[in-house]
Amino acid sequence: MNQQELIERIKTELGDKIVEISSPAERRVFLTVTGENLVDTVKKLRDSFDFYHLSTITGMDTLSSFEILYHLANKLCCLTVRVSIDRNNPEIMTICDVIPGAILYEREIQDLLGIVVKNIPDPRPLVLPDDWEKGNYPLRKDWNYQAPEEKIPGENK
Amino acid sequence: MKKITIPIGPQHPALKEPISLRMTIEGEVVKDADVRLGYNHRGLEKLAENKTYIQNIYLMERICGICSHSHTTCYVQAVEKLCGLEVPRRGLYIRMLVCELERIHSHLLWLGVAAHEAGFDSLFMYTWRDREVVMDLLEIISGNRVHYAINTIGGVRRDVNENQKEKILEGIKFLKMRTEYYTNLGTTEPTFVVRITKVGMLPKEKAIALCAVGPTLRASGVASDIRKDDPYAAYSEIPFELCTANTCDVLGRVVVRVKELVESYKIVEYIINNLPQGDIKVRAPRKVQPAEVVSRYEAPRGENIHYVKSNGTDKPERLKVRAPTLANYPATIEMLKNCFVADIPLIFAAIDPCVCCAERFVELKDIRKGTSKVLSMADIRRKYKYNEIKKDFVWPL
Repeated sequence: MNQQELIERIKTELGDKIVEISSPAERRVFLTVTGENLVDTVKKLRDSFDFYHLSTITGMDTLSSFEILYHLANKLCCLTVRVSIDRNNPEIMTICDVIPGAILYEREIQDLLGIVVKNIPDPRPLVLPDDWEKGNYPLRKDWNYQAPEEKIPGENK
Repeated sequence: MKKITIPIGPQHPALKEPISLRMTIEGEVVKDADVRLGYNHRGLEKLAENKTYIQNIYLMERICGICSHSHTTCYVQAVEKLCGLEVPRRGLYIRMLVCELERIHSHLLWLGVAAHEAGFDSLFMYTWRDREVVMDLLEIISGNRVHYAINTIGGVRRDVNENQKEKILEGIKFLKMRTEYYTNLGTTEPTFVVRITKVGMLPKEKAIALCAVGPTLRASGVASDIRKDDPYAAYSEIPFELCTANTCDVLGRVVVRVKELVESYKIVEYIINNLPQGDIKVRAPRKVQPAEVVSRYEAPRGENIHYVKSNGTDKPERLKVRAPTLANYPATIEMLKNCFVADIPLIFAAIDPCVCCAERFVELKDIRKGTSKVLSMADIRRKYKYNEIKKDFVWPL
């Protein structure tokens, strides 16, 4: 099976769940689905196309919405499943039931982007401290820190 | 028997980097393990959004002190794809040469650490001495021992001349001989073999389900290597074997890495003997058209993946880095279950953990004021110096 055949087969298997599918480069496929269809899609990709390996999950703030990219891989190519979710109500279902190795990546997007992953088996913070202030999500584009003014000792002003 | 939870780390003599492992033990047996990250998180992904593509090479180089070339290669090949640049073949070959030398130095380092954790310190001393040979070769090529700074967008920054080629072949010849000796030593020394057999078991199904990568995955019998599965640079032109083991334990991980050492020597020799002529780099544009790229790379520890999205300016919109160690943590927890307390350092070392790779942030919190901020190293130094002067601190000497 080559990449073109793979895309055709994904198209027939997933049918109207696909919002968009494209292949911008060799061994790279980008697939867009809606948030409700995510778990089913990943399950189908795993069972029918051997996408067992989740490389990582990228969370991205586009200011109009949050994009979550699930980078899956099999022997043939690296397939990225893209999901756009509402920025005011950022919720997504966990895929840990399908791919248990997703847990750390889901915890990371919870921490850094404030996306709520529903039914996550372990919701604790991953990289940010336990006493991190609520509502501070560093990877959001509107999150800013004003650096404090430098005070160099010995300099009189 | 009563269950007790003991913390190992974030500061612990058995760990070289800050990570907190919490072990629930029953007597001498670990019943459950938990890992807490974040002690070394430096905010690199956020920082990368404020730096230009060229500046980011230097940032990526500093994600890790061992696989520094892995991160820059993964990053520059993503940016090259974004720009649509065709890197000259000589440039790609030199890039791969440094890749493989880096793999050799990382695996030799790891072999020493594994031997040390197993209580075989002579092997540790031997491998670390021999590692100096490959470090010197890297210095000959790039001028640096750790951060080689050889990659640039569009190729590499330094060429290799005939004299350097000769020295590399000489060094590789020596290392080949030494590795043969380690192979004999490691497989015939009964205490070492018994110490690492059936320790840290990771069955094949678990390794796949938990998305393990690199030698950890290959030691569980899964033939997966990005150099074969998703060939980058010019790996499709280079003959080499994919190394696996099916013992699923620490012994398997040693075997895989030693076999990979031998393969890497062959690759280095092939590259030196078949180095194409021509340029080493092409000019890259400063601004990049809006696009997105997923770049994968087989680092010494496993699959390294970078996702880069550009927005038409000279700075990336988003740069996501996932280093191999982070992918191996869920598998490590699985390995630690039902092991003995004395095996914890050995099992943890067997994934070749690199905490600074897995985390990319530092945020400091002022408890008194309740504020938090991302600080640069210069800020920390300045602040520290300021406090020291303010308190009129005198060193007790």
